Amino acid sequence: MSTVTVNDTLLLANDTLLLDSADRLFGDHCDQSTLDQAAAGHFPEALWQAIVTNGFHQVARQDSGVALSDAFHLIRVAAQRGVPLPLAEALLAARWLDSDGDEFLAIGAVGTDGRATLPWGQRAASCLALTAQHTLCRLDTTAGSQTKNLAGEPCLIVDAAQQAALTTDDNPLLMLALAKAACTAGALEKTLALSLRYVQERHQFGRPIASFQAIQHALAVMAAEVAAARQATDAAIAMLAQPRLEFEIAAARIRCAQASTLVAEAAHQVHGAIGFTQEHALQHFTRRLWAWRDDYGSENYWQQVLGRHLCELGATDADNIWDFIATRY
Amino acid sequence: MSQFPLNSLPPDSSALRARVREFVAANLPAGWRRNSDFMSGYDADFSAKLGAQGWIGMTWPRQYGGGEHSYLERYVVTEELLAAGAPISAHWFADRQTGPLLLHFGSEIQRERYLPSICRGECFFSIGMSEPDSGSDLASIRTSARAVDGGWLVNGSKLWTSFAHLNQHMVTLVRTAPPSDKRHEGMSQLIIDLNGDGVEVNPITNMAGRAEFNEVVFTDAFVPRENLVGIEGEGWQQVTSELAHERSGPERFLSTFRVYVELIRLLGRTPAQHQAAAVGRITAQLMTLRRLSISVAGMLEAGQTPNLEAALVKELGNNFEKALLEMTRQAVPEQGDRGAYEAAYIESLLLSPSITLRGGTREVLRGVIARGLGLR
Repeated sequence: MSTVTVNDTLLLANDTLLLDSADRLFGDHCDQSTLDQAAAGHFPEALWQAIVTNGFHQVARQDSGVALSDAFHLIRVAAQRGVPLPLAEALLAARWLDSDGDEFLAIGAVGTDGRATLPWGQRAASCLALTAQHTLCRLDTTAGSQTKNLAGEPCLIVDAAQQAALTTDDNPLLMLALAKAACTAGALEKTLALSLRYVQERHQFGRPIASFQAIQHALAVMAAEVAAARQATDAAIAMLAQPRLEFEIAAARIRCAQASTLVAEAAHQVHGAIGFTQEHALQHFTRRLWAWRDDYGSENYWQQVLGRHLCELGATDADNIWDFIATRY
Repeated sequence: MSQFPLNSLPPDSSALRARVREFVAANLPAGWRRNSDFMSGYDADFSAKLGAQGWIGMTWPRQYGGGEHSYLERYVVTEELLAAGAPISAHWFADRQTGPLLLHFGSEIQRERYLPSICRGECFFSIGMSEPDSGSDLASIRTSARAVDGGWLVNGSKLWTSFAHLNQHMVTLVRTAPPSDKRHEGMSQLIIDLNGDGVEVNPITNMAGRAEFNEVVFTDAFVPRENLVGIEGEGWQQVTSELAHERSGPERFLSTFRVYVELIRLLGRTPAQHQAAAVGRITAQLMTLRRLSISVAGMLEAGQTPNLEAALVKELGNNFEKALLEMTRQAVPEQGDRGAYEAAYIESLLLSPSITLRGGTREVLRGVIARGLGLR
């Protein structure tokens, strides 16, 4: 392994104006009833129209004038606000179909049974799927059945056997996987915020449960996990143009999945029974955290990718191991 | 809530990194078994050679022997030395804690007396904080300094003082006034000569069989007035103002790094699924912790005091260092030449209880984080 220095140069210039206005818009259009309605199977039309009106549905397109890194940050912000749409997929579909229309577009993954599961596919004008070979195909969605996924999204299931391939210069698996890391980082921050608020509002034994050391320590651990997941995701987004992108994304996905398991569990524990009800907002976020751990490459898949790479490097020269951690190539 | 801005190391850090590697390769003591724990290698000769390279006191002013380099350059040197498993314990506390303390609070005489020799790797310090009855509750210390003509007479004892049996000096937290309602007042920091009269150093052997920490007993030990660091009675504020420096460095996630390296060597090119998964999981955490640590180094460089962020790095890093040992244990193959792996694993495992104790216990750190989150 040659030690070509790639510099640890990161794309750090975020378009804060774009992200702030997206954050406001998502906040205005994602109240509890929007989330509940979507979970009940009603597409959030008003929210989608607001997204279209502001042009956010096209930010990932090549000629959008928005850096791709900012499109991923926008995806994170949307998940943090609880946007009950597969916005990441919609943005990437517009990129890969080079679509300048206002239609909602969907992407799903082809399972081992040769069928694609498409979140909100029934509402989409066009559907794409990631094949088992990690390529893209266009799907004919005239005939399909309905189901609901772990995240609570209504899904269309269609046979993906005879479909047309779609080529792109991107690596679609990596883009979709990174998008899920961005979603996870956002949802983790919201889950922490909900928990911080709840433990200060909820009183037992005559005082806020936040005053108990056991609760404080649970929140401290959650905050640490959320910070780690966010940093790993930010790093991967900033490394979009680097040759080691695949491994940065693997690290982000692993770290996000690990944080999701722990944070979802702890959030439900500190919320008590109310957080376990359908009426409480927490379940919208924890269900997604659980689901996203294994979307577009399971947690185990990404561990294999990163682990095998390190074993390959280390078998050549053990010094490569630290070189890799220290981002020398 | 916490905020960790992404941060890059300076573009020219590759050259510095390469120089550190060359140096380590040429100067590691013969037969040295690499260990990435910052407490696991005391070698005064190696420290002197590092000093000659300008790699001790790197961020300090030139007038005191420092290099006026950035925290990020210091970060590069520190992580390279730790990753290589080089012996850096002798100068460790002087470089990380005593120097910055004297630069902020010390007198001009103290800076001129100690800093240049620390930079040369000749003058080594211990830190005297814990006592037999005062661990996490540091404000309850009882070691007293009674004012006498020209200084103080110190009585009491300090515990768990690393390398006090080898170092020349100890920055010691003492009570210069008796405890009052305001329990954080009345403490002061004194520089005490560990070879002086009335100072007895008793090594304590840890469960790994090594004598690294000590009990230091003072019996009417005279400390001259000029050895007071900063302001009398403000020792607590001085001690706590530097915590971000000592809680977020690469030493908080690299302690067990060599075990991971030896596991990968043992696995070779064709790991089984669960073995590759374990390596992947550890790698993801290492990459992320390093980014978080560099983020805090950038905040320090910008003159901020990221105490919450530093506590978060220590919480994550120390738990990971211990978890690494369990993950490698679950993944280690039954066959193959396991000698190097097992030696590293056993050494690290026997030292591992200290990882979440030193520098503030896990429980204390979680309290610090909870305070930062607004919960107390």
